[in-house]
Amino acid sequence: MKFKLNSEKIKSTVIATFKQFNPVFELRNPVMFVTEVAFLFSVVMAILPSYFGLPVTGNYPEFYFSVIILLFLTLLFANFSYAISEGKSKAIVASLRKLRKETLAHRLKSDGTIEEVKSSDLRKGDMFVVEKNEEIPTDGEVIDGSGYVSESSITGESRPVLRIVGDSVTGSTTLTTDRIKVRASSDPGETFIDKMIDLVNKSTREKTPNETALTAFLAGLTLIFLIVTASLYPLSDYMGISPNLMILIVLLICLIPTTIGALLSAIGIASINRISKYNIMAKSGKAVENAGDIDTIIVDKTGTITIGDRDAKKFYPAPGVDYSDFVKYCLMASIPDKTREGISIAKLARIEGAKISEDDVKEYTFLPFSAETKFSGIEKADESIIKGALSAIERKYGIKDQYIEGISKEISSRGGTALPVVRNGKFVGVIELADMLKPGIRERIESIKKMDIKTIMCTGDDEITAQQISLESGIDEYVANSTPMDKYQVVLLEKEKSRMVAMVGDGTNDAPALAKADVGLAMNSGTQAAKEAANMVDLDNDPTKLLDVIFLGKQVLITRGALTTFSFANDISKYFVILPAIFASFSSLSYINILDLTNPLLAITSALIFNTLIILALLPLALRGVTFRPASVSDILKRNIGLYGFGGVILPFIAIKVIYMLLLAGGVTW
Amino acid sequence: MSYVVPNINHSSSFWINLFLSNRALSGFIIILIYLAVASLFAYLISDHIAKIYRGEKTSISRYTDKFVNFFEKIIGEESKKEMKFREYFKSLIIFNAIAGIIAFIFLYFENMIPFNHSSFGMNLSLTVNTVVSFLTNTNLQHYSNPLRLTYFSQTFVLIGLMYLAPATAFAASMAFVRGILTEKGNLGNFYHDFLISIFELFLPLSLLITIFLILLGIPETTLSVLNVHPFFSGSTVPIPLGSVASWESIKNLGTNGGGFYGANAAFPFENPNWITNMIEFTSFILIPLGSIISLGKVFEKRQFGQMLFGVIMAFFILGAAITFIGEYVGIPALSSLGITYTGNLVGKETSLGIAQSSIFAVGATMTSTGASNGALISYTPLGILGVLVPLLMNDPLGGAGTSVLNIFTFVIFTAFIASLMVGRLPEIMRIKLGSREIKYSTLSLITHPLIVMIPLGFTLAYSFAMGTFVNSQPDRITSLLYEYTSSASNNGSEIGGFLTNQAFFNYMDSLVMLLGRYLIIGFQLVIAQSLSAKAPKAEGENAVRLGSFPFAVTLFSVMIIVGLLSFFPVLVLGPLLSLARDFGLVVGEIL
Repeated sequence: MKFKLNSEKIKSTVIATFKQFNPVFELRNPVMFVTEVAFLFSVVMAILPSYFGLPVTGNYPEFYFSVIILLFLTLLFANFSYAISEGKSKAIVASLRKLRKETLAHRLKSDGTIEEVKSSDLRKGDMFVVEKNEEIPTDGEVIDGSGYVSESSITGESRPVLRIVGDSVTGSTTLTTDRIKVRASSDPGETFIDKMIDLVNKSTREKTPNETALTAFLAGLTLIFLIVTASLYPLSDYMGISPNLMILIVLLICLIPTTIGALLSAIGIASINRISKYNIMAKSGKAVENAGDIDTIIVDKTGTITIGDRDAKKFYPAPGVDYSDFVKYCLMASIPDKTREGISIAKLARIEGAKISEDDVKEYTFLPFSAETKFSGIEKADESIIKGALSAIERKYGIKDQYIEGISKEISSRGGTALPVVRNGKFVGVIELADMLKPGIRERIESIKKMDIKTIMCTGDDEITAQQISLESGIDEYVANSTPMDKYQVVLLEKEKSRMVAMVGDGTNDAPALAKADVGLAMNSGTQAAKEAANMVDLDNDPTKLLDVIFLGKQVLITRGALTTFSFANDISKYFVILPAIFASFSSLSYINILDLTNPLLAITSALIFNTLIILALLPLALRGVTFRPASVSDILKRNIGLYGFGGVILPFIAIKVIYMLLLAGGVTW
Repeated sequence: MSYVVPNINHSSSFWINLFLSNRALSGFIIILIYLAVASLFAYLISDHIAKIYRGEKTSISRYTDKFVNFFEKIIGEESKKEMKFREYFKSLIIFNAIAGIIAFIFLYFENMIPFNHSSFGMNLSLTVNTVVSFLTNTNLQHYSNPLRLTYFSQTFVLIGLMYLAPATAFAASMAFVRGILTEKGNLGNFYHDFLISIFELFLPLSLLITIFLILLGIPETTLSVLNVHPFFSGSTVPIPLGSVASWESIKNLGTNGGGFYGANAAFPFENPNWITNMIEFTSFILIPLGSIISLGKVFEKRQFGQMLFGVIMAFFILGAAITFIGEYVGIPALSSLGITYTGNLVGKETSLGIAQSSIFAVGATMTSTGASNGALISYTPLGILGVLVPLLMNDPLGGAGTSVLNIFTFVIFTAFIASLMVGRLPEIMRIKLGSREIKYSTLSLITHPLIVMIPLGFTLAYSFAMGTFVNSQPDRITSLLYEYTSSASNNGSEIGGFLTNQAFFNYMDSLVMLLGRYLIIGFQLVIAQSLSAKAPKAEGENAVRLGSFPFAVTLFSVMIIVGLLSFFPVLVLGPLLSLARDFGLVVGEIL
């Protein structure tokens, strides 16, 4: 994650850092609030040492001065971490705001005439026209025409994408070809970009339930340490040592979880920033955390496991059908079919020598493919050519053909899809469509399975193809011959087992399933209904990103847990440094001074220096998230307890000793 | 001082020889035998407890149902309805308060009540302290028993409270378990739960134990005193008698811990020999450990029960080992004087010895019993540390009923941290933990250190309160810390070393005991209420398995860290400083 340094950004970060010193801002974070109060208190004490009974002889004034500096730095680092992540959010918001500029829209009046209005005057349900090379004024759904839209303004992807009837388009993207008619799907202020700005803004203010729980816990422990430190005053007084308030303040700051306290809000904001960088719009920070908790993911074969649409590979005419005739039929059935599958069949047919133009099929009616019928084709009074799934065609015409079945099985068994073609109710052959696994998908599925997450693939293909693809990609379960309604059933079934379900969808038919799933990721190219039902929308239309979201969700939680554990583990070693120093007058207690730091003031300062610097050292970790390698829960737990728990006990011992030696070597002798 | 090693010749068996000649080894073996016996009986009772927790009929239900039904009829409608947190907790508090007020009246005016053989009576602060300490299952006993109590008070009022207190806590634990198990949003009925705990658990078991104790020679009589004529003196020593055996059985079974006699289980009439010692140890471990093992059956996660058992045993063995080593090594200063030194036997019953005293003392603070068979004030600093550390962790094994509540404060918090560490939203027993559960869990977790450290600092700051302490300074701090942790964890054991029966300590301890008891029960019941409304999710392979070894290690570390981080500074100035002194690191500096 790059944070580009330019003077403007540095300036705003610095300003934001210092604004945070306002105690009102710190109130939402009890740990830092206590730190700030302690800092102010230490300043007062340093100014009026005799009033608080502080010794001023020898090196004490230098010590007080360094405590004040270090406490100030602790606050500064905490505020800085917050300001950096907040600055990043602001940068994102600013770039989004730039997109939300006023443009001209051609609104269609009810009488069919066009009037020129401002984009902000468009209301939900209004219809408007977008001409070639014009910016689309607001979010909407294409209701007529089709064209290539460049979405580079929001996704950064320069290659324009095809948008056809039923697809949704996003405001501030540009139509690069043709002319489309669009129905606006949102009122001003509720568009996609508005929502995204809102989310990023919200992430700097609102806490997720998980953050609230952690804050409550940190507040509780801060309270304990406050009381423990306070009780040391009468305790040491009773033991005949005059307690030095400044040292007690240092002890307090070292004990309260300043590390996690300083970085907690930065972790949450950074996660939202990171998901925005992935070009995913999450509707809440909670949705991201939920993603970490998924038990089952339901994916479509096409687009997630295999590359987009399938390409035609070969034609197999039925016995007794001439090869060139068969190719011609295929071409005829595919010319009006503008799906990529159809286009690829037409292309292959033309290469194979078929010569049919669009005019030749003018008098035919086109039966478009639908997920329910599972076939498409053309028909007129005395002729029909249909291509589609074998089972669907067998059902429709009540026919069976051993040769066709044999060929289909063979194609399926090598991972392809067989597309039988029927002319006038008789099989004329099979088109072989090739499925290609997405590069790297096997490894990703493998890593998902390592986290004990169940994967279910839904596909409209037959049993054999589905089985073949799931074998190749490593998917746990598959649902073959499925319709979008089946997907809903699968979600329901998994939910009945009370599992947390994540799924990807784009069609209107997917909306109920998306709404029912705990994490629903809709494609930006999908229908409005799907986008509304989902709790995340991917701008790049890449279903595989669901896996990234799951990783990210886990990473956020682990980062919080790891830093909390680390923070507390540190306390053990800090106790062993500071307590012997406070009670240095009892030389018999030297056996708990296991680091053998003979100069008490220097030892206390070293502990505080460690406490301050560790915030800065862990800041990149908080912003980037801890390294997360997919593995079983038990292994992750072992690894992280070892790394952040036991590591958190041992590291400060070493670091404080090193700081102490460095200070000594640097000539600090108090 | 000299010590003659008994000249027993068992050359026939190498093992018997080794056992008799190596006292450290035999001590550890005795400790392990105690733990094994107690664990065996706890395991045997855990089935019965699991049935009670699951609301199933037990093997004795057909006899006890009549009693439960009879009392439910008396209570009426109140005993039938399903209660939510507010009602349940309110019934619990009111019921306890009424019992407390009645007990107060009987104790305060006991001299006007028949069967008063020889009581001195009690003043106001002592009465308050006594009632509160018996009501909260603490049994601090700032009075000298049985001199200040009439037999009526001992037999009816205090034994009554000794049944009421554990049964109240056990009822609360039933509600807590029910909160996790069910998803209707109700915690059950307090009166029903209370009656079930009395009739299905405490009464039958204490009857059984009483019979054993009577057979082993513990008195159960209406005679007032036994006059003893020691042959070396002409005078007559009257030893008070009474319903000692029945007192003793519920004292241990209900993890009450307050003795019939001032010397508690160190007095021969309460604990005559090693068999009664083992029976008493087993009976105060029985219900807390049995409840914890039963959780495995209740939640159908056998591994979870085993994991808890393992963690508890780790603490048990650790604590017992520290105390045993501390007492076995004794005070090196004495060895260096050339005395054949056999360990610190000061204040211990010689027929029991160091090992049996150590395991008994540690068991009494691992649970919230607080009984003692020796004088803790004579223990070495290291010996005290092994007894004190469990107290600082709010009795890891807890009392009858509170065992489940206490262990879950740690389990919920550990589940929260461990889930975060693996990138999952926290859950427990397949139920999602929301911020509400974590908030209240934090409150239960910090209650104990807060109600110890605040009074401790307060007491130290006001010198009048420290006026009666007799030992050197670090020991005073140990005594004071022990006094408040014992009250806060409703344990009731004491080091003493100062005049406990003063108005200041009587009231301060009462306050600490009340907060330590009812705040934690309240917080845990809020959590139960919140969990009871949630439906469990599927058994996931990818949730943190509460029965797994990494979780056990995490739980163990969390208990140590949370328990000790709060008390480390006091420990340094108390036992650790005494330890330094005793081992002659710098002689005479503090004194």
